[in-house]
Amino acid sequence: MAKWSHGLTTFTPTAFADTTNMTDATYFGVVQGGSSTQRLIHQEFYLGGQAGASAPTFMLVARDSTVAATVSLGTGESNAAIDAATAALAAPQVVGNTATTKPQRSSTLKLLNLSFNAFGGIIRWVAAPGEELVTVGNTASLGELSLSAFTGGTPGLMGGHWIYETV
Amino acid sequence: MASLRRHEGYFMLDHRNAPSLTDAATVNAGLPIGAGRGLFEAPTYTCSHCQAVVFINPMRNRERAYCRRCDHHICDECGAKRALGAECKTMKEILDEAQEAAEKGLVLPTL
Repeated sequence: MAKWSHGLTTFTPTAFADTTNMTDATYFGVVQGGSSTQRLIHQEFYLGGQAGASAPTFMLVARDSTVAATVSLGTGESNAAIDAATAALAAPQVVGNTATTKPQRSSTLKLLNLSFNAFGGIIRWVAAPGEELVTVGNTASLGELSLSAFTGGTPGLMGGHWIYETV
Repeated sequence: MASLRRHEGYFMLDHRNAPSLTDAATVNAGLPIGAGRGLFEAPTYTCSHCQAVVFINPMRNRERAYCRRCDHHICDECGAKRALGAECKTMKEILDEAQEAAEKGLVLPTL
């Protein structure tokens, strides 16, 4: 239906172990369905390193075993329709990196590893049509994806975008 | 007959203007040794059973797990389960069931 770009201009991730609360504004973000039946198709992830010194950073796209609640966009974070003519949804998808109930990455449902050196490194993944990552609803563990740093390395400054489609 | 290459996504890791990522880190990420140096581009596929993204390592000699029922490559973990007799249940089927359950007001399954 409509493609959206979830972007973050610049942030320094904190490395989180699985199934632990993520701290506000120190992970790229979560994308969650706006209703119990909303389907989202995640098509592309891009991260560009902005660190000033070597910073091996282990970013992970994963399903969340605890989904975030009362989510809002953080500083420098955006969520914009790619087509200017996109109509507003009755139940808009939930996007952000600030929440009251903090999201927790599942220990078993990691979908994409985006490890790179944030001192000038660039990483990008694009799905083939029909091969995208899909979420349904707004509950664990099918209803939310997060992009966050995993334990280890020296997470460094970066920015990026995450393109998905609401269905 | 359609080629399985129709399922391939695109992955790029560019360290041409950055210090390299160690081989230990790239191997942990499912990438081949040396992928953390310079420009590395590879096709990927999405496991139809668990939706994990698998980087296609051009140096791999072992057979890649394949499910005949859903006509799709699957990840090594799902391949091992399938070899042990697990039934093929694609993530698309699980998501469809979840969506249907939600529409009926039933509890959604968890993975």
